[in-house]
Amino acid sequence: MDDRQLLRYSRHILLKDIDIEGQERILSGHVLVIGAGGLGSPVATYLAGAGVGQLTICDGDDVDMTNLQRQTLHREARIGMNKAESSRIEVATLNPDCHVNAVPARVGPEELPELVRQADVVVEASDNFSTRHAVNRVCFALGKPLVSGAAIRFAGQISVYDPRQESSPCYACLFPEDSPVYEDRCASLGVFAPLTGTIGSMQAAEVLHLLVRGQSALTGRLLLYDALAAEWQEMDLPRRPDCPVCSERNSGMTGI
Amino acid sequence: MQAKLKLFASLSDFLPSGAQANQIDIDIGDGESVAAIIERFHLPDRLVHLVLVDGVFIKPEDRAQRDLKDGEVLAIWPPVAGG
Repeated sequence: MDDRQLLRYSRHILLKDIDIEGQERILSGHVLVIGAGGLGSPVATYLAGAGVGQLTICDGDDVDMTNLQRQTLHREARIGMNKAESSRIEVATLNPDCHVNAVPARVGPEELPELVRQADVVVEASDNFSTRHAVNRVCFALGKPLVSGAAIRFAGQISVYDPRQESSPCYACLFPEDSPVYEDRCASLGVFAPLTGTIGSMQAAEVLHLLVRGQSALTGRLLLYDALAAEWQEMDLPRRPDCPVCSERNSGMTGI
Repeated sequence: MQAKLKLFASLSDFLPSGAQANQIDIDIGDGESVAAIIERFHLPDRLVHLVLVDGVFIKPEDRAQRDLKDGEVLAIWPPVAGG
């Protein structure tokens, strides 16, 4: 770190759980963010500000007027621009230490392996189950930790799925791939703006823990946030012994 | 006996009139199970994903055996994928 960086990241360096060593890990980190919407906005903002060296941000949608109530990466002047590209422009104004690779596409099983392979941590901030399942499969195939958040109306969820931890479930242990697909879109159901900030900020926190310490305390736990009652609940997430995505990993294990 | 029913996200459309925000106090019968409440309020299977009583997760296979008791809070979440 040079003098400017020592100053810029001094409030992190002061934290004994981060220190210079942890900040250097953040600076050399590469995070893949799937979705540059309500969750992706706080994720990218906090990670860029904290000095994550590389962010790959994927989104196939364009900025729309209805996004701006909560998607803080975007601006009215960029309505019509691809969201990944809009994010790259915004992050460049936040921190020159953070390099953004913008992927202006809805990524799927074809594109994901190469993108996930290059990343240290993957953030799920998309708006649909098919992308979420595809990302989960690739993360578990390649052994990359996945920080997954979701938000709709006044309800939010967050968990971490880490294939490197034997006891960790995968996303499909919680949401089986063969469940009937029900898409709960913000466009039809609505979403409370700061809810996405709350869940996305927590996702950013778990990404930083994974970069600094290599693990997240949220692995194997699901947090449920009720933004109407200002209440959190949590539940343990066990592995599903018959999960078609992750039950084969760590041979010799019985599952849970 | 009364319990509190809390329905989240898209499930909140199934709350009866009189609900405050996403919850309502409901009368429950002696020995009425979690599964019976789910049926009483016509909650579709595809939307009943996570069921918690006083913050403790109730597995799908246990819903019919778990009776709701006076003062307990039954919270039900649909699958959520919004971002």
